Amino acid sequence: MNDLYLIRKNLFRKKLRAWLMIGSIFIAFGIFGVLAGFEKAFNAGQDTAAADRLVTVNKINFTQPLPYAYFNRVRAVEGVREVTHANWFGGYFQDPKNFIIVLAVEPTTYMTLYGNEMDFTPEMRQAFVRDRAGALVGETLATKYGWKVGDRVPIASNIFSQKAGGRIWDVNIVGIFKNKVPQMDTNFMIFQYDYFNETRSFGTDMIGWLVLRTASPDANDKVSKTIDAMFANSTAETSTDTEKAFNKAFLAQLGNIALIVTLVVSAAFVTILMIVGNTMVMAVRERTREIGVLKALGFSGPRILRLILGESIALALIGGLSGLAIAALGATQLRVSLSAFVPGLAVTPDIFVIGVVLMIVLGVLTGLVPALNAMRLKTAVALGRS
Amino acid sequence: MRSLFLQIVAVSAINLKSIPQRFWLSLSTVIAIALVVMVLLSFLAMSNGFRRTLEGSGSNEVAVVLRGGSQAEINSALTREQIRLLEDAPGIARNPEGKPLASPELYLIVDGIKRASNTKANLPLRGIGQEGAAIRRNIKLIEGRMFNPGANEIVVGKGIVSEFSGFELGKTVNFGSSPWTVVGIFDADGTVFESEIWADLPVVQSLFKRNNYFQTMRARLQSPATLAALKNYSDGDPRLKLDVKSEAEYFADQASQTSDLIQKLGWPLAIAMALGALAGALNTMYSAVAGRTVEIATLRAIGFGVLPAFFGTLVESLVLAALGGLIGALATFLIFNGFTTSTLGASFTQVVFHFTLSPALIAQAVVLALVIGLIGGIFPAIRAARTPIVAGLQGS
Repeated sequence: MNDLYLIRKNLFRKKLRAWLMIGSIFIAFGIFGVLAGFEKAFNAGQDTAAADRLVTVNKINFTQPLPYAYFNRVRAVEGVREVTHANWFGGYFQDPKNFIIVLAVEPTTYMTLYGNEMDFTPEMRQAFVRDRAGALVGETLATKYGWKVGDRVPIASNIFSQKAGGRIWDVNIVGIFKNKVPQMDTNFMIFQYDYFNETRSFGTDMIGWLVLRTASPDANDKVSKTIDAMFANSTAETSTDTEKAFNKAFLAQLGNIALIVTLVVSAAFVTILMIVGNTMVMAVRERTREIGVLKALGFSGPRILRLILGESIALALIGGLSGLAIAALGATQLRVSLSAFVPGLAVTPDIFVIGVVLMIVLGVLTGLVPALNAMRLKTAVALGRS
Repeated sequence: MRSLFLQIVAVSAINLKSIPQRFWLSLSTVIAIALVVMVLLSFLAMSNGFRRTLEGSGSNEVAVVLRGGSQAEINSALTREQIRLLEDAPGIARNPEGKPLASPELYLIVDGIKRASNTKANLPLRGIGQEGAAIRRNIKLIEGRMFNPGANEIVVGKGIVSEFSGFELGKTVNFGSSPWTVVGIFDADGTVFESEIWADLPVVQSLFKRNNYFQTMRARLQSPATLAALKNYSDGDPRLKLDVKSEAEYFADQASQTSDLIQKLGWPLAIAMALGALAGALNTMYSAVAGRTVEIATLRAIGFGVLPAFFGTLVESLVLAALGGLIGALATFLIFNGFTTSTLGASFTQVVFHFTLSPALIAQAVVLALVIGLIGGIFPAIRAARTPIVAGLQGS
């Protein structure tokens, strides 16, 4: 009769009570898993940001355009290795409700700058540069609408219209790209700036924003100051920041998601801490006489302590691990439907590790008081108490 | 019948008086339920506050004209010719001199610094026509004055002043290279306009290089019914073919997305947490019943029926749940009601809003609490009712 056997027997001595406690732990860790995954996916933009990538936008606001000439002027700045530009197209497919992220880009430089995140194959690069009306579609987006290479799809804009009338551009899908890093989402489409620029009815020769790669992250500061100084007092002043800072500021616009997640998860944990903690105290008190018997049989105080802590930790692990498992399953189910909002929702290994640490902490906290009480219990008193 | 009722009352009273014996366990159930209610109510208050801010912004007597298919003001574009045609449209109210009460507007996004995060945030800068402020009936200047035509002056909503730094009266703000002076602060009755910056349309057009460029037109209607006339006029002219909506309709469309999203997050979370709290409630009530075995058997032996034992337990559970629900609602009210925050709205700009509880929301949360109490009490109550007298009297 080893300790594990005793722990197991004690744990399930009142089956219903054990399952109820496991149930509430299960739910708390389910909530933790999903919300932590949500927050992580939400902040993925900061993780995927390369340290040597900067973003230059109009100083008024990033939705204001910049003159096309800035592209070449920034390219000439010392410390800048590569520059590309991109434009928000305001895209949708067929119905305005089917919002899609479409960017009009300069093909060669764009694919160079994002070559570490997205897998642009040589054939894709060639085909995209060659076809003026060509478009590359991310795997997630292509799957969503069932698009294949060779398809000609009409993409509409809720901002721009064609010189020839109408707001639909027909593009040829010349490639479907995958991501190289899991946090990078592929729920978007890129097409040629030249094609877009020559056919749109207004905003000609303006670009949305510039993305540049510096010689090294150490050069970031100097490069961004040089660029912003270069355009100071012009009609379109610029603001250059690291990609990470830019993404962070953008997410902060939505609200303090991290705080909301922390509050909800804390509420869930406080709940189980109280429920399980109190139940453990009660469960051990009911066993006072038994503990007296164990002590009389020669079980040491520390061993009793280990038995009870083992019980509460086992409880937390059974409930917690199954909760995380269901969260992981739920995240894969939700991933597709939430892809536009939080791409790449998943219970990642680090969330799992934090979860296990939390389970052990929970197990220790809920078992500590009854375990200490039991350890200190005098055998005679315990046997005397009914 | 009356005696049965009295028995139920008596047993319930005994049960409630015995709660202190299981004080910590009962308290943890109450707090667990209170936390569930708090989580639910704070999400609902957020969703409700956002919706109210936007929905309250729209008037039925004001028409908004946008380019067809543009959905939000920020995407819209109108030509000077279209503005001119619209000013002659039927259905639009006119001032005593016969000029239409219409305001061509330009809606641009500029950067402000959000106080809460100290990061850049999108703020709407609206260039409004001469009638712009008069068309919206609920605008009141609370400090300073209106901007002068032709000057680099702005008036800002009070939400802008409270949530973003640098917009106090008399301050100068730079948008790109042009400096603007804050000359007034207005109250807009809690509507989305309180999150906006207003300036004279021609000045905005020239300083932002948008000469002869307009995005929307707002017009005061003779009555809500004349919206149809304006719509027909626009549909009938090939040079127009614009989206004509009442302002109320426009903002209701904008409100629904974000507010629905918040609700869709809040309810599943609250229900998941409710299941956790339910496990706690069941646990508490089963222990209560277990602790009372002898007592229940004694009552039965002296002639009490099965139903009092059942209802006594159920009442105890419901009382604990109701207590939790009320504490949760009260705590949410004290902590979150009126809490001001801002998020990105459908126009891609910050919307300042307040968490707003309402009796209907509180009722929903209390119902959820009572459901937890009901389910958490019913099974232990059945067990209580089934306690066999003889075995019960012997103790377990």
